[in-house]
Formats: sequence, C-alpha cells, structure tokens
Amino acid sequence: MPAEPTVPGALAEPFPAFGAAQLGRRGRRLPVVSLAIIGVFVLVALFAGALSPADPEAQSLRARFSPPVWDARGTWKHVLGTDRLGRDLLARVIWGARVSLTAGVLTVLLASAFGGAVGLVAGYYRGRVDAVLMRLTDATMSFPVILLALILAVTVGPSFANVVIAIAVILWARYARVVRGQVLTLMELDFIVQARIAGASAWRIITRHLLPNTLNTLVVLITLQIGYVIIVEASLSFLGAGIPPPTPAWGSMIAEGRDFVTSAWWVSFFPGLAILLVVLAFNLLGDWLRDTLDPKLRQL
Amino acid sequence: MTIYLAIVAALLSITLVVGPVAAQGKPELTVALSSFSTEVLDPVLGGHIVKYYLSLMFDYLVGTTPDGLPSKDGGLATRWEPSQDHRRWTFHLRKGVKFHTGEEVTSEDVKWSLQRAIGKRSTTGYAGPLRTLIQDIETPAPDRVVIVTKEPTLIIPTYLSRSLSTEGMVLPKKYIEANGDDVFARKPVGSGPYRFVEQVTGSHIKLTAVDSHWRIGAPKYKTVTFKLVPEETTRIALLRRGEVDIADVSRDRVAELEREGFPIHMRKEEAILTMWWILPRDGMPTKDRRVREALNLAVDRGELAQSIFAGKADPAFIPMGLSWSYRDFGFKLTPEMQYPYDPARAKKLLAEAGYGGGFSMDVYAYQLPGLPEGKAFAEAMTGYWQKIGVQTKLIPVDYPAFRKNWFDRKTPGAMGYYNIANRDWIGTYALIEKMAYSKSKASDVVNDPEIDGMLEQVLRQTDKDKIGVLMRNVYTRLRSEHYGVPVVYLHSPYAASKTLGKWNIGTVMYDFFIDELASSK
Amino acid sequence: MIRFVLARLVQSLVALAILTVVVFVLARATGDPLQLILPMSASEEDYANARQYLGLDRPYVEQYFSFVGRALTGDFGNSLRARRPVVELIRDRLPNSLKLAAFAMTASLLMAFPLGVIAAVHKGTAIDRAAQVIAVLGQSLPTFWVAIVLIEVVAGRLQWLPAAGIDGFASYVLPGFTLGWFVVAGMMRLLRSSMLEVLDTEYVKLARVKGVVERRVVWLHELKNALITVVTFAGIYFSILVTTAIVVETVFAWPGLGRLAYEAITSRDFPVIQAVVLTTAAIVALVNLSVDCLYAFIDPRIRYAG
Repeated sequence: MPAEPTVPGALAEPFPAFGAAQLGRRGRRLPVVSLAIIGVFVLVALFAGALSPADPEAQSLRARFSPPVWDARGTWKHVLGTDRLGRDLLARVIWGARVSLTAGVLTVLLASAFGGAVGLVAGYYRGRVDAVLMRLTDATMSFPVILLALILAVTVGPSFANVVIAIAVILWARYARVVRGQVLTLMELDFIVQARIAGASAWRIITRHLLPNTLNTLVVLITLQIGYVIIVEASLSFLGAGIPPPTPAWGSMIAEGRDFVTSAWWVSFFPGLAILLVVLAFNLLGDWLRDTLDPKLRQL
Repeated sequence: MTIYLAIVAALLSITLVVGPVAAQGKPELTVALSSFSTEVLDPVLGGHIVKYYLSLMFDYLVGTTPDGLPSKDGGLATRWEPSQDHRRWTFHLRKGVKFHTGEEVTSEDVKWSLQRAIGKRSTTGYAGPLRTLIQDIETPAPDRVVIVTKEPTLIIPTYLSRSLSTEGMVLPKKYIEANGDDVFARKPVGSGPYRFVEQVTGSHIKLTAVDSHWRIGAPKYKTVTFKLVPEETTRIALLRRGEVDIADVSRDRVAELEREGFPIHMRKEEAILTMWWILPRDGMPTKDRRVREALNLAVDRGELAQSIFAGKADPAFIPMGLSWSYRDFGFKLTPEMQYPYDPARAKKLLAEAGYGGGFSMDVYAYQLPGLPEGKAFAEAMTGYWQKIGVQTKLIPVDYPAFRKNWFDRKTPGAMGYYNIANRDWIGTYALIEKMAYSKSKASDVVNDPEIDGMLEQVLRQTDKDKIGVLMRNVYTRLRSEHYGVPVVYLHSPYAASKTLGKWNIGTVMYDFFIDELASSK
Repeated sequence: MIRFVLARLVQSLVALAILTVVVFVLARATGDPLQLILPMSASEEDYANARQYLGLDRPYVEQYFSFVGRALTGDFGNSLRARRPVVELIRDRLPNSLKLAAFAMTASLLMAFPLGVIAAVHKGTAIDRAAQVIAVLGQSLPTFWVAIVLIEVVAGRLQWLPAAGIDGFASYVLPGFTLGWFVVAGMMRLLRSSMLEVLDTEYVKLARVKGVVERRVVWLHELKNALITVVTFAGIYFSILVTTAIVVETVFAWPGLGRLAYEAITSRDFPVIQAVVLTTAAIVALVNLSVDCLYAFIDPRIRYAG
C-alpha cells in the first residue's frame, strides 16, 4: 500500500485508486447505474443510424405536434410524437445523443488538453512564465461563457463549431488553474526534487512525473464538466446561440418546445429526460471518481 | 435544526403574506409586450418602430380613426386643404391644447417638430422622402401651418398622420430647446392624454393620465404601464394572474387561451409574410423567371397557414402585396394570380430553365417581433424546396445580421423575409418605393426598370385614380415577374383580461388605440 | 499578508487590462449598430453623418485608447441604442442582479444545508446517495426549462407566486430558487465533505467520549468548522450566479445586468457590451480576490505558493 501522501491528490504512482484496498477504505460500490446509463447513450450515439426509426429532419407539417403513442391521438408511426414541424421525436432524440454527446466530449477534451498543458507549464517553470500564463487564465476565467457564445453567434452565426469553441475557449482556464495548483505542490515532493537535481529534462519531468499525478484530477473534472457543457448548450439554444436547426441537439429541442410545456409537453420532455439522465449519470460518476481518488478535491 | 426550520418558516410566511399587490381601487391598465423595439422615448431620435406608448404621450398633426382613415377629431388639425396646384398644404390647428408643462401648442411647435423630424439626425421611417419633398414650412398664424412642397403631391397629410410613423407628432419646442435632446429623451413632454411618469429600461414604462384631454375627455385609466416581457410563458402567466390586461401572444397559444375564456383580439391580416432574394440576380438561377415561378409553385401555402400559423393566416399571392391598399387602388386578385401548390410543374419549370439537377440556395432564418414562428417557418420552406430538388441551406442569424447582408449584397441569391405591416395606400406606396425602386439602392429587391418608371410617376400624381392605375400595374407586374415569394397574411392575436371590456384594437400599424380604450367620450 | 493581498490585487488588474482589449475587439466584431438605429430609407450620407456623430469613424486604435482613458474615469460612453450614458444603465440594473444573486445564494444554502449535513452524518448509506442525487438534480436540467415550468405551473396555473418583474419580496422567490438550484450540488458537496473531515477529528471524538449528546455534537461543533469552508467557496458560486443569470433574467423579465448584455449584443451596442463584460469580470475578479485572501488567511501555506 503506497505511503499516505502529505499533499492532497499527489501519489507517487498514477492510478492506484482502483485497488481493492482503496475501494474498501473510502469508496463505495462502482456506480453501476450511472455507468450503465452512460453506456447506453454512448451506444445510441454511435449506432444512431441503425437505431433511429426515421430521418430526424424529415418534415411533415400535417403531422405536427402528434402526441406519443400511448395518447388517444398517438400512432405507432411516431412513438414519442412529433415536434412543431412534424419531425419524429424518437429519431431526433436518438440522433441528438450523437450531437449533444459529441459536443460535450469534444469541448471538454479540447479544454482539458489545452488547460492542462498550460497548468503544467506554468506550475513547472514558475516565475515570469507562470505570472503571464496565470494572468491570461484569470482574464479568461472572468469572461462569462454565455456572453462569449452569444457574441460569436451574432458575429459569425451560430454553428456546432462555434458552440464548442466558445465554451472551450473559456473552460480551459479552470483546468489550468487546478492543474497548476497541483503541480506547485507536487514540485515540492522529494522524488521530483531529486529528479531535477539528477538533471532530468523539463519534458521528462512533466510527462513522466507531473502529468500522471494530475490525471486523477483531470479525470474527475472532465467527467463533471461534460454534463455542464451539455447544459450550457441548452441555455445557448434558448438564447439563439446554440447548435442551429435543423440539426437535432437535445438543448435546442428543449428550447423549441418551451412554449408548449403543458400542451405539447412531449416536445421538450423527452430531450429533457435524456439530458437529465446523461448529465445526472456523468455528475454522479464524477462524484464517485472524486470520492475514490481523493475526497480532498472538494473544490471541484 | 430548530433554528433552521424557524428561518425557513419565517421566509415562507413573508413570501406568502406579503404577496403581490392586489387590484387597486383606481383603474390601472397594464400591457405586456414581447419587445419594445427601442427604449428611447424621443419619437424622432429613437430609432422607432412601435408607437404604442408614444401615441398616448404625444398628439399628431393629423389624427386617424382606428381603421387608419384620416380624422378631423383625432389630431391637432381640425381641417386641412391643399392649394390648387397641390403644392401648399394648409392645416388649421385646434385652439387651447396644452403641453404637459402647461404651455400652449402653437404653429411654431408644429413647424419646429416637423423640421426636427426630417432633419439629418432623424431616425423616423419616412424622414428621407419627406426631406426631399418639403421645401418650406410657414406659420402665418399661431393656429395655422402651411407646408410647401417642391412637387405637387397628395401624401403630406397621411405622412404626417397617425397611420404611418412618428413624423407627425408635435413636440414642445421651448422645452426641448431649453433642456436639450437628452433630457427630453429621459423625461419626455407632449400634449397627449397621458403624461410620462417613469421608465426603467429593460422593464417598463409608466404613464399617468392628464385630467381631461380633447381627444378622449377624462381618461378612464389613471395609469397605463407597458411591461417588457420577452418570454411568452411569462406573459401568459401574468395574464392568468390578472397582473396584465393586454398581452401579445403567439398564434400557437390562442386555442389554449380561448379555452380558458380569455378574449382574443385578432388583427386580421396585420402583416404580410413575404420572402425575397438578395440582389443582384446576374449569374444566379433566380435571374430566370421560370425559376422564380417554380419556387413559388413548390410551396403549399394552405398547409403552412393551417400548421405553422395555427390557422391564423391566409395565403398571400402578391409579393409585398399589402392587402389593405387593394381597396384604395381598386386592385382585385384574380384566380389566375393564386399560385396553386404544384411541385410537379415546379420541377418541370426548373428543368426547362436548365436546372433539372437542382441548384443550391441559402435561406436565412430568424425570429422577428410578431413572428415567433420565424425559424420554424424558414425550416418548413426549405423542406418544400428540397422536395423539388433545390438544395437549400438554412442559415440561422438574427435580423440585424441578415439586414446587413441584404443591404451590403454580399450574398446574392440568398433568401430573406419579413412580416411587413399592412397599411393603406399611401403607406403602401412608401413601402413599395423602399423595396421595389432601384433608386432606393440598398433596400431594393426588385430592380425592374418598368416598375421604376411607374413609381416615379406616382409621386408626382395628384389624381388618385391615376395613382390607382399605376399601383395596380405595379402589383400586376410584381406578380407576373414573380419578384419574390409571398407566403401568408398573418393575423395577430392580442389576449385581453376577462374584465377589459370592449376594445377596438384598430388596424393602424404598431398602435393599439389605447386612448380609445381609455376614452370616456 | 499585506504583500500577498497587494500582489493579488495587481494581478487582478492586469487580467482586467487584458480583458479590455479582448472585449473591445469582440464588441466591434459583432457588426454595425447603425443598421438597427437608422431606418431603411437612410442614405449613404445619413450613415456617414451618424457615424461621425457617434465617433465611429475614427481609427480603431484611437477609439480603443479613448475608451480606456474614459473608462478609467468611470465614463463608458453613451449607449448607441438608448442614447444614455452607459454608466446610468449599469447603475440601474446592477443592483437588481446583485440582489437576485444574493437571494439565490441564500436559497441555495438553505437547500444545500440539510442535504449536506444529512448526507455526511449518514455517510455511505442509501440516505447519503439519495441526498446526493437530489442535489445533483439541480445541475442536470437546463435552467430555462426549470424556470418556464415553474412559471407555467406555480405562477400561471396555481398562481401562488409572481411570474415576472421586481415587485416585492415574493417576486424574488421563483427566479431566486431557479438560479440557486443550479449551485446547490456544489454547495452540498462542500458541506458534506467539510463535515466528513471534521467528523474525523480528535475534537469530535473527544466530545463523544465525554458523552455529549450525539445531536449536539453533530450540529454545534461540526457546523462551525464546515461553515468556514462553505463561506470561502460561496464567493466562487456568487460569481457563477452573477454571470449565468442571463437566462433567468430573460425568462422572469428581471431587469438585470445579464439581460442588458443580451440586449446590447443583439443590437450591436458596443459601449454597453464592453462595459457590461468588464463590470462582470471586475465582480468576478473581486470575488476571486477576496476568496483567495480569505483562504490564504486561513491556510498560510497558500500565501507563499505564488
């Protein structure tokens, strides 16, 4: 069993967290339900073409606002009903999984890659490099995400790419700060000090010693933020800056159906349910990861 | 734990006890609107479109009935007449009208207001045409104004009336000269039946009644408040709670409100939803008349009207055809003019024109005030055109971005649309002049020398029949050349509270005639 | 300590300075506000006149320095749309946003508090999981949807609470709850883990050994320490609330800063866009600064970490 570290989050070897001893000591059972939900939606996203009963963009104005099949006026042709242009809701939710999950994952990967890199560099070199990078980080962190996305949407028009870019461009700062904080304390550890004295290059230290020890934090943050990105996309759709029609994305589907919450409730309900399940699953998974890897990461 | 529960209980009780303010003894009118267009209260410098609250604060030179017809009772002018050559228009003013500051309204105020309205900094809708037309303004007596024009014309009284924009509003010369434009914009002073009280930008505008007004006697409502509530569910919730008396609602939710017993005042054919292509047409498939016709035949207007517009719309067949003017011009829509829904013929026409394999076309998608279905509508149109082989690409933007592309002509061949407010014949001429006259440059969407010629003659005409002939020809040509894709006439619903009573909402664009509602005459 | 505070203050100012450039460029990139202000019939000459009158025809660099120079004296120019000093607009709207954020914070604490404590005390049990799920629920639904459902049901149908605008204490409830619910999860996690830590300390063990009644042990001794942590991080959540309020403000017709930013961006009103973003950034920076200082005060290791 590795020695109890004196600094939160830092362990001499990466990923020891899944040993049985660790689990027994502070973890709970694997969050089976969350993993299952995520698994199902990932599969749906990957095999959308095969699973979808219809073309998600096929309009049929006369069939608009058809209710789901269990309603008196519902039909098996549209199991979950149709939206304001008569498009099949089940098809759109299925294809929407691909769009929304891709947006979430892509954004978070971009942000964490860039932010993590910045944090590592800043923490390792310190001094002026650190000062400059941290000022940039501070400036970025205080810019409201939604406003940036709105400005982009108004300037170059809303698009999938713009949503990903707008969010990632602000999100990286969070990763940078957290990683840097970790690196700063890691740098004080004996084995790293020794490595530097022994003449190891910056690259070697960063990739072989620092990065693995920050992976825990990154994994937790990434998991927790995927849900956040999906929710932000929904808010952006509401304001007109989200993933634009006719692309089926859960967020814009909810926004489109918002005037009919009590009449054509299904239009917003099913994509809303999808978002709820997916984001809940990611959040609970992230919580579990954090509790298992290190509960002291409570500021995440 | 007990402390915690105590805190929560205390907060809950404050909430429920100090509830929303109940209906007062004094009658108050509250109107909830989805947009204010601008919040500058200066009718000339504000970039205005809507006049809901302006018409209550200011008087017009020429009044109108709720149906938009000039009225000698509704404006400061009790009568007006042109000279023999139609170049001098004399207006006789009502006596004893006072501004909210107490000063009397004189011809000096009328002259000064008009000069300001057509001046360089004016942002009113028709400042340009009026500026080119008006040569001089004379004030031979405190109760008489004479407007001298460069060319003989009929349009002066209508352009200065309530039925169009705000150029006819009479503002207090002394007050503005003494305090400046900025102060006036923040504390406007007029001579209308309601006085400005307060404005919280982004929230509301509050007006209070004067004691008695020549237009409406003693106003029935002590205060009138206009609230800005962009989200529809919220507006409807306010209506249900009795916190607002009037709210604009979308067509989709009319059925639900009618079921609950809320009176819906429907403005029939309040606007025409019409689409057009950004010029120039050279090098574009739409240069060929058959392509334009095909795109029109591919649209099932009836289905659109019933579905997207919830049945609260009627098919339209004349591009930019403002139907309220048809009666004035003697224009009749013949059966041949009514586009059938014929995608087969559309495909044939495309093939004839050499586009059997289709072509690509961009369609901008945006919401507009009064058109919450904007994006859904654009998507539906692309659906129709895709069925005949046109590869349409939907470009979501907001209206200002589209407008820039339209004026700059950066994306020729792309389609845009607007819900153009319906209006009488003079207003119609003004609109057609903006959008179908090549000398209007940026906003022109037609570029047709024949139509140019006809429009140039109209401005100089003083014989209404001759104008009718010219405008009928303009409409016929717009239709025969398919200079656009007219879609539907929109009926606009306004929901009222169950206790509001009788209200003639009128047919004047961007005006509710709330003063009529508050009238005790 | 003083050195630390000063150093952090300078850092925040530098960050803000960087932002002024970014914001200036972005605001101008949004397009031409004159398109919206001038009517369709405006001629080229009208555009030129308006541009000159509003100072939009000067070179960008000159406009930037003029902007920064005046901003330092508190003058952010006039709103192109409202023709009023931007500072006035912000002065009218900022307090509304702050009040709403404060209410939302309180609501969030009130909701997170029992959840966090119960979860910590019953750690590892089904109750713990249930509390976690309830808390995370707030982050798993789009804010605007929650807002609209609440308005439709609570305000419209049941008519228990007001739907829009600022009109007395009751009108804070729905928007405040909607806004606050989003951060309940974070707060609850903080409370829970703070309490878990404290539950392990010698202090509490000693109290138990001495035989102090369990309930008093739980609530009195642990609470105080947990609260310190919560308060330090409350600051971060406050700035989240201020910056994400735009959706709630739109749905509830709340005249706040977020809504002002939205209107400014859609009407390309650069002076307002610049001022609002900088104001928001300044608030966030100020809050971060305070939180960092507070945290450094409590944990001296941090002062020297750079």
